[in-house]
Amino acid sequence: MNYGNIFKYWRTVLVVAEMSIRTQFSDGFVLFAIVFQPMIIAILALFMLREKGSDYAVFVVVGSGLTGLWSSLLFVSGNSINVERWTGTLESLVGMPTPFDVIVFGKNLANVFQSLLSMIVSYALAAYLFGYPLSLTQPILFFLTLLLSMFAFICFGLTIAPLFVMYRSVQQWQNAMEFPVYIMCGFLFPIALLPNWTTPLSYLLPPYWAALALHGTSTAMMPFDQLLFSWSMMILFSIVDLIIASQLFKIMLYKARVDATLDVD
Amino acid sequence: MNTINKNLYLFWQGTMLSYRALFAWLRPVTYMASKILMPLAQMFFFVFLGSYASNGKNVDFYVIGNAIQITSVSGIFGVTMSVGGDRDAGTLPYLFGTPSNRFIIFFGRAFMHIIDGAIGVVIALTWGVLLMGLDLSHTNLSALGLTILVTTFSTCGLGLLMGCLSLLTANVMFVNNFVYFSLLIFSGANVEVTALPAWMQFVSNILPLTRGIAASRALAAGASFSDISPLLVSEMGIGLIYGLLGYFLFSWFETQAKQKGTLETV
Amino acid sequence: MNAIEISNLNRVYRAQIGVFNRSIKEVVAVDDISFDVQAGELFGLLGPNGAGKTTTVKMLTTLLIPSQGSARVAGFDVVKQANEVRRRIGFIFGGERGLYWRLSGDDNLRYFASLYGVDPAVSKKRIPYLMELVGLQGRGNERVGGYSRGMKQRLHVARTLLHDPDILFLDEPTIGLDPVGAREFRNVILNLQSQKKTILLTTHYMFEADALSDRIAIINKGRVIALDTPSGLKGHVSDLSVVELETFGTPESVLEKLRSLPFVDALSVEDREQKQMLLVQTKRGAEAVPDVMAALDGQRIGRVIVREPTLEDAYVRLVGGQA
Repeated sequence: MNYGNIFKYWRTVLVVAEMSIRTQFSDGFVLFAIVFQPMIIAILALFMLREKGSDYAVFVVVGSGLTGLWSSLLFVSGNSINVERWTGTLESLVGMPTPFDVIVFGKNLANVFQSLLSMIVSYALAAYLFGYPLSLTQPILFFLTLLLSMFAFICFGLTIAPLFVMYRSVQQWQNAMEFPVYIMCGFLFPIALLPNWTTPLSYLLPPYWAALALHGTSTAMMPFDQLLFSWSMMILFSIVDLIIASQLFKIMLYKARVDATLDVD
Repeated sequence: MNTINKNLYLFWQGTMLSYRALFAWLRPVTYMASKILMPLAQMFFFVFLGSYASNGKNVDFYVIGNAIQITSVSGIFGVTMSVGGDRDAGTLPYLFGTPSNRFIIFFGRAFMHIIDGAIGVVIALTWGVLLMGLDLSHTNLSALGLTILVTTFSTCGLGLLMGCLSLLTANVMFVNNFVYFSLLIFSGANVEVTALPAWMQFVSNILPLTRGIAASRALAAGASFSDISPLLVSEMGIGLIYGLLGYFLFSWFETQAKQKGTLETV
Repeated sequence: MNAIEISNLNRVYRAQIGVFNRSIKEVVAVDDISFDVQAGELFGLLGPNGAGKTTTVKMLTTLLIPSQGSARVAGFDVVKQANEVRRRIGFIFGGERGLYWRLSGDDNLRYFASLYGVDPAVSKKRIPYLMELVGLQGRGNERVGGYSRGMKQRLHVARTLLHDPDILFLDEPTIGLDPVGAREFRNVILNLQSQKKTILLTTHYMFEADALSDRIAIINKGRVIALDTPSGLKGHVSDLSVVELETFGTPESVLEKLRSLPFVDALSVEDREQKQMLLVQTKRGAEAVPDVMAALDGQRIGRVIVREPTLEDAYVRLVGGQA
């Protein structure tokens, strides 16, 4: 995408995000992905990590919140273009002067924003049901990290959606892509537990850097230079994702107009 | 004899057809991804989490618990989709219009999923042995095999009930997902049942899977078949109760639909 | 300047056949089409199902890339200057899909208005105006999922007018509507015509095309087989009369016999519940009736009428002659 687009079309992005949230809050699937599944994971993790002490409650809240963020990115953002095709709105959206990636950006913004509900639900669960005292070690840095993470997630989502549209064979792996990312990004346990050869793969996943920095600023006193490094990685990946996404969108739209696949029939 | 043969044929037909219809659209790759890789990844996640929680002491506990829990992929999702599939395909009125034995039709829907689920568990346990250091050297393997089959059977019983409920509700996947994930908590796959609050323990005890997981863990620790046979009998009984509840609901549903003329709209 | 200029447009679909031996079959959907539409004109595109109407419209609305040839809409090339085209056009593909059913009518419009880059202050005024134009005033707060089919299709019209486009593409907009809904819809189209919009309308309802269009192109098997004003097209059959016979279950063999008679120019059959209507086109007018009756000897025959040809008869002759 032409990066100016996000600024030029900021109002459109917001309207798209608003409508996207309105259509999705009554969707059982979305609700499950961002509320119930992370909640169940949080309950499990709180029981399992109980012996590690109350310090780990915040770790669980952040970690299970991240699982909700990833699941909704994978399933909801991943399908964001296909969903438009199924409702028959894809043709209208493509046949418009607003660049299509701006529209998908807005949808992902909504998606990532509403996924913060995962973290809120986990927080309420740990604080009220389990009665843990919860506090953030570096609250301001945590919220800055959260904003940056949201942006990185949105950009990551922008590369996934066109891939799922163009390659059905990739989309078939969608179900199998949920838990490996939970594992490799260190959402609920450090990646040091994993075999060494997986470490480089973790480094290539933007959610890994988000998890590292979010855990670091919520349960520990992450040294500022390390935090800065995580931030830089997120920014770097966001830029790379945007560049890749802009090419993917171009190829996808051209291919769809050649193959006549904008509509399902 | 003739009736038995006919019903056997009907059972087999229903079984194969519903199973094939369910997976026909899938390519082998998708089958692999959703039936083998997804459950394994989920198992690894909880095993790592458990190992982190117990500082690496209790890995077998989590490997066995989560490997057995894999039965519910076939038991809950597979069976529900086979039962509910008739509604989505609009074939329910035709099915209810036939004179064939409802009981056979109904249980035929689950049969292949029992096999399918059991294979899934065996694959998961194999990965556990190869990658996670699971030790089955003191285990009565034939007893373990039987335990796996019984547990899969009882989970499919719950699946049959869920499938019938799915004929009543629009949001099938939501309910299914919810039950599937709840089993991760209640079955003792990841948390000792005794560590749960009393009301949760009660729920654990009336669900399938709980006793199957307990029996498998006992077998892995060297227990004999007679030690675990009471657990298997109860597990079997629980599965039967759920299956029968599902069957009665299915029959009730058919009568209701015919009386109220809602067959077309279901 | 012409609003739409099409020269030698061609579109081939590649379809994969068979699951195991994946052979590729090529289907020519649009075969070397050329025509122009003037600004402010209501241009009808008529043809049987699968004739290539929708494919043509999708190429003109930048949603499909032509295999060969080119088209300009509002002076811009539909492939190279797609975005310029998109700014100036609106389009509807018949049917009720393509809206967000969980959102209200107003929210749907607000959403699409923002995507067309309409200033929020402008769309605030324009949305109620358009809802009234399409007869949905007072229903804007309701969820679209609860709308009737006709209401959804009219909401599509409002959607496509949000950015006040000069050129509209309406692809079978009245499909599936009941007669009352279809008539209301045609009134909306007439209203747009009076606003000097250029409209390209595809339909397979003859009277609709006859009543609305300034000019009509008849397209069959991907080719334009006639292009004229409605009265010009009727001129193709002005030498003919139509004998309408009401029959009951005439076998195909008898119809074949009738078709082969030298004075029968075309024969079409319409099924109406238990009855059949045989429409025989002939130059001999009423004189042909006894011979037609003789050919149908032994069949039960009801009402018989001899009448002047309509646009539909012209269409039957043109398309039928190709078949």
